[in-house]
Amino acid sequence: MLKNLTKLFTFVFASGIVLILISPLSNGADFPKKPVKIIVTADAGGGEDTEARGIAPYAEKHLGVRVMIENQPGAGGKIAFEKFQKTEPDGYTLITYTFPKSIIIEYMGKTNYRTKDFTPVFAWSRGNQLLVVHADTWKTFDEFLKTAKAKTLSGGLSGRGSTTHLAGLIAIDELGIKVNWVPYEGAAGSTSALAGKHLDFTICLATSAIPLIHAGKLRPLMLFSDRRDPYLPDVPIPKDIGFDITALPAIRGAQAPPNTSPSIVKVLEEAFYKAVREPDYIEWAKKRKMVIHPLNAQEFGKAVAEAYPNVEKFKEMFKEQ
Amino acid sequence: MRQVSMDVITQAIAFVLQGQNLCALIAGTIYGIIIGILPGLGPSAGMALALPLVLKWHPATALIFMGALYKCSNFGGSITAILVNTPGDASNAATILDGYPMCEKGRGGVALALSGTAAMVGGTIGMICLIFVAPFLADFALRFGPAEYFLTALLALSIIAAVVQGATIKGIISAGLGLMLSCVGFDVITGHLRYTFGWTPIEDGIPLIQALIGLFAVTQALVLAESAQSISRIGKLTGGFWEGVMTYFKHPYAIIRAAAIGLFVGILPAVGQSSAGLLAWAEAKRESKHPETFGKGEPEGIISSETSTNACMPGDLVCTIALGIPGSVGAAIFLGIMIIFGVIPGPLIFTEKADVIYSLFIALILTSFILFLVGITVARHFAVVTLLPNEIIVPVILVISLLGSFAIRNLMADVIISLAFGVLGYIMLKGGFTPVPLLLGMVLGEMVERNYHRALMISGGSYSVFYSSTISKILIFLTLLSLAGPYLGPIWKRLTQGGK
Repeated sequence: MLKNLTKLFTFVFASGIVLILISPLSNGADFPKKPVKIIVTADAGGGEDTEARGIAPYAEKHLGVRVMIENQPGAGGKIAFEKFQKTEPDGYTLITYTFPKSIIIEYMGKTNYRTKDFTPVFAWSRGNQLLVVHADTWKTFDEFLKTAKAKTLSGGLSGRGSTTHLAGLIAIDELGIKVNWVPYEGAAGSTSALAGKHLDFTICLATSAIPLIHAGKLRPLMLFSDRRDPYLPDVPIPKDIGFDITALPAIRGAQAPPNTSPSIVKVLEEAFYKAVREPDYIEWAKKRKMVIHPLNAQEFGKAVAEAYPNVEKFKEMFKEQ
Repeated sequence: MRQVSMDVITQAIAFVLQGQNLCALIAGTIYGIIIGILPGLGPSAGMALALPLVLKWHPATALIFMGALYKCSNFGGSITAILVNTPGDASNAATILDGYPMCEKGRGGVALALSGTAAMVGGTIGMICLIFVAPFLADFALRFGPAEYFLTALLALSIIAAVVQGATIKGIISAGLGLMLSCVGFDVITGHLRYTFGWTPIEDGIPLIQALIGLFAVTQALVLAESAQSISRIGKLTGGFWEGVMTYFKHPYAIIRAAAIGLFVGILPAVGQSSAGLLAWAEAKRESKHPETFGKGEPEGIISSETSTNACMPGDLVCTIALGIPGSVGAAIFLGIMIIFGVIPGPLIFTEKADVIYSLFIALILTSFILFLVGITVARHFAVVTLLPNEIIVPVILVISLLGSFAIRNLMADVIISLAFGVLGYIMLKGGFTPVPLLLGMVLGEMVERNYHRALMISGGSYSVFYSSTISKILIFLTLLSLAGPYLGPIWKRLTQGGK
């Protein structure tokens, strides 16, 4: 009797070990089995949130499970990033934000997370930074540059240490001009101050300036990108007027926690890839004037690696000395 | 200025009265009130959550639904603010001040009636102004630069002088504490973190709604726990709904003043509804012949704060619709929704999309009236919660308010912040400090500091920027008048009476 019990116990114990050993192998094959959660690092209703909620139904269709959105705002996303670094890498929790803000946060203070540790999955859109002036002032970029070289102009920023700030710093570095930066707590503040002629120019994401351009208050002079924006086809890019300015687009996409297995990433990547090609999704993006720019896991990873040296170079400038 | 043709308006009225639009409007109203009552959910979250539902609708119908939702969530927040001292959103901050004390006197039904009537009247006045002068107002708002914003905030702060009359030292301590708390967190201008002690949840600054929940709901729960009565101290409800409606219309001057303040605050981008309510309340107190009754259940306090907040919402929409500059977080989301439906904001919108825009405006006016109807039929019955014994209501208030505090960012730290502010509020209450100056300090501190810096950054360090424009000069004059008011008042009275 006792012998039998011991035998049974050994059997249960052994099969338990076997189960533990084989379970990681089966991860990719039967993924996903339960709802997938996408964490948005900002409040409900903002750009990040709207894009996440926009793609969710289409990703849902191709994953075969529900895709839920959870908002974790606070400290520019830092609270969410710190939590995400320690999240179980089972593919059921993803994060979306405006890249590269996470890297800038790393350089602005102490953090326990590293963006390069996160597993890239897929990026669906890119936003480019736009230089806008008041419609009553400069007509072309050359005219603007001539004045900017002669005196220090006041430039509006949507936030110190924002992706816009980084783009602005890169641009003035290459143009060789001096700028008196005036930081606001969002593009609404910096664009309306420009529309009221309290500033000389503003740099912001193209989507934030389009209404005021449409209203005839602002004029776009240059788009910091390597290709033109389909919604602003007449606005020149640096290459058109003989400048070489590193474009650091704001990328929105999904990442998985550190050390997520490649087989899981592959399932997710494929679902997102099919989602961005749905005609309904493309139609939705068009209405928002959002530029769909798919990056697969590998390309997204490359963008992360390339962003680090650019942020590193300007880290001293994010804070006032 | 563009003329509004009556044709467009009559067409819009006919459109709104179509079955589907009327249904959307009523659905938006009810959904909005429920969202407002639920802890931690405000207009922003409400609109974001409802968006997938309306994506396939006709643009105008969808905007009518969202507009009604946006407007009504405010009223839902006022209900909880009045009855259980828990603000649904920062915009309900000033309603608490007199709404809850009225419940203590057993006049919860009257307070709700005042709030419902204010939603109707304030909203309608605001909307009518919006329809006729929106493009002009938007251009006026753009003339406000950093210097003008700084002076506006300073003018608003000077109202503290009137609020603290009678207990000046304690009032100034309270205001100073509020201003100090507004310094906590990421400094937008320099990029440095201040007074966070390495604690990430306050890097964005002390979260306002969580602090409000602590200061009012938690503090009140502690006070209630001390006695075995009910919120209504007399144990019954007195005064009917119609009494509230009548009381409201007996204060025409207060209504007009509050609506004007609300509209003005609303059209300034980046100044929210919380300031509108507080400023109207403080202004009413200053003008009143019996300022000592404010904060102790004075109906005029609710009339002012609620009328102002409701008039603020259309003002908020002015810049959003005419220029694409959102005046608040709620307006920013509304802007996003408009863009999704292909209604691109700008001055041209009033001609290009006249049908959509004017039907939205008409629908919002109609919503004000439906809100009033809901108020008289449903909301007044909620007043019975003020009769529940404290053993039941105290745990309920604590759970609901702390749940609300948690739900905003899904963060346990926010519950700790609310509890800490609850203790602070309790100590202040027992020490005879009023929380109003603290609130004003917290709401306006950032605006004062940041715009002061910005103005000097743009001017290159020259202080002339603060008095060079005409708007600045007017603001400075008003501020001086407001500071000297409490002292000049008696002198003026003596002079005029002496003349008799």
